[in-house]
Amino acid sequence: MLTALKRQHALIWAFANRDFATRYRSSVLGWSWSLVQPLAILLIYAAVFSLVFRVEAPPMGNGATSYAAFLFTGMVTWNLFASLLTLSMTQLKSNGELLKKVQFPAWAPVIGASLVQLIQVVLELIVLVAMFLILGNVGFTWFYAIPILIGTALFAQGVGLMLSIMNARFGDVMYIVAVVLGALYFLTPVLYPMSLVESSSEVLAWIVKANPMSWYVQAMHDAMYGLVAPSFLGVCALLVGGFLTFWAGFWIFNRFAEDIGELL
Amino acid sequence: MSEIAVGISDVGKRFMRSAERRNSIKERIVRGRARRAEDFWAVRNVSLEIPKGSVYGLIGHNGSGKSTLLKMIGGIYRPTEGTITSQGRIASLIELGAGFHPEMTGRENIGLNGSILGLPRKEIAAVADEIIEFSGLREFIDDPVKHYSSGMYVRLGFAVAVHMKPDVLLVDEVLAVGDEEFQRKCFDHLYALRRAGKTIIVVSHGLGQLEALCDEVAWLERGSLQEVGEPTDVVASYLAKVNAEESARSPMSAALRPHDHEGGVKSALRVTSVQIASTDGSSLNHAETGTTFTMKVGIAMTEPVLGPNVRIALQHESGPLVTMISNHRLGFDFSYVDGEHIVEVDLLNNPLLPGRYRVHVDVFDHTGSKLLDSWNDALEFPVRSATGEIGQGFVQLPAEYRLT
Repeated sequence: MLTALKRQHALIWAFANRDFATRYRSSVLGWSWSLVQPLAILLIYAAVFSLVFRVEAPPMGNGATSYAAFLFTGMVTWNLFASLLTLSMTQLKSNGELLKKVQFPAWAPVIGASLVQLIQVVLELIVLVAMFLILGNVGFTWFYAIPILIGTALFAQGVGLMLSIMNARFGDVMYIVAVVLGALYFLTPVLYPMSLVESSSEVLAWIVKANPMSWYVQAMHDAMYGLVAPSFLGVCALLVGGFLTFWAGFWIFNRFAEDIGELL
Repeated sequence: MSEIAVGISDVGKRFMRSAERRNSIKERIVRGRARRAEDFWAVRNVSLEIPKGSVYGLIGHNGSGKSTLLKMIGGIYRPTEGTITSQGRIASLIELGAGFHPEMTGRENIGLNGSILGLPRKEIAAVADEIIEFSGLREFIDDPVKHYSSGMYVRLGFAVAVHMKPDVLLVDEVLAVGDEEFQRKCFDHLYALRRAGKTIIVVSHGLGQLEALCDEVAWLERGSLQEVGEPTDVVASYLAKVNAEESARSPMSAALRPHDHEGGVKSALRVTSVQIASTDGSSLNHAETGTTFTMKVGIAMTEPVLGPNVRIALQHESGPLVTMISNHRLGFDFSYVDGEHIVEVDLLNNPLLPGRYRVHVDVFDHTGSKLLDSWNDALEFPVRSATGEIGQGFVQLPAEYRLT
């Protein structure tokens, strides 16, 4: 797998370049849109959930609490996962004309598109860091965020590759995933702290804990918000888990991508 | 020439009928896996050896499997059975500019398309200038391709594809692109590639073009191989089959229309039949460009008529009157005629180009002023090509060239 990725790096890069160059080409604000959207959602959710539903965030590493900062930490992680997933799923269809006519590895445009999406994640991360700097919530545990996010990206891309090839075969997958993602968002401790679910329903808490995305989001909460060092083994597990998912996704993708020219 | 560039051995490709494809999960669950009976073979039992450095043509009807075969050679489809072996890099001109992104400039698209076709970045950069030069689009190369005309789009696509240094180039129906000058350029380039020992596989309906370009031609019919060999031989037998089939399918392709005697002309003469026949007298339902055929107009008279003037007008299906033939004007005088006769008119070396023609027959008296009978739209017949050339306009005038 790694050799295949290395051999095709120019092709992946070419697709990434295309997506990067064309993403906001016809819009005036360009890349600022990639921040405007998540920040607007952050604002809305922060207002609704802290003012209306009175959800309380746990204390930050510096003792203060900020629901917005807590929410945004989770959102950055969740957005990374959800955006890679949805983007990957549409790639085969949107490159269909090409795949029907020229032979090249079909995962190249999928991974290329994801690479461009990572730019948005980095932008969001910069805003998050700025936010914590203003709040005075700084710690060395921040560095854990890097392996955690890499693990998240690998995990998301692995699932994305599986779903994208399934979506090429069965057009329904896209719609099912949209529904499942919507549900999964609320089964991940992004809008609420884990303690809130634990105190309300045992079954629900069990489901939330079984959701792999909860592991990544919680690890991010620890590292960025709570400034608690996640266990070294835990981070390793997240990274290895992400890598294994990616490897499995890549394998499944290639297993079913042989007839991609006919499927599309 | 003995080296084989592409070896196709006993290849078959099975498709599921698209209407029966289990494309959604629900269908898959409700109706189970598709049954074998609904499959069909687009290509079957095809074996070909395409020599290195040759230009190889594939001909056949639409749906005969030529494009499927080409896609299998290009690796887009996997053969269901059999094997295809090939040497070197295969580039396909199956769809020019398929990888272009409308928002990107011509130059950016050259880079992208080159990567997709598998050329390393360094080499793309090295040939980029050549590509721009070849396409003749230097002026517009930094504009987004969405502003290009379709001709410009295709020119850039062709330029990129042929500069990818392919060992085998697959060409599907794209030779009819661009203006005359650019086409010339494309052909020159294809010849140059051939001289450089590259292999070119062409799918086309332009039979004349194929005859001129190819070293060998294979004819596919319903997915199986009919004939392989010299282009002229294969094209000739393909055309013979096509014409025979078309005749069998529509025996009335030279269609006689009802005679309504419009205008209520009352006279002693009636036009009774109109048909076309070959020179040996047998009835025809189509004519061939360049081959003499006879138009037969039956007339019947109740009393002797002096020197009738039989005028045959030929109208092209698109509307224009192509010509009007008159025995008076050509100097044929029939003097007194009575009873039933057939007026036979030989169209020498039929100058009509392929298309459908309508025949209108008017018969005047010897003065040419009194209409005796008129049969508008008496017959419609097709003219077909014997060579595959379609030509331009309606007629091919007998002409000679001289260089002085």
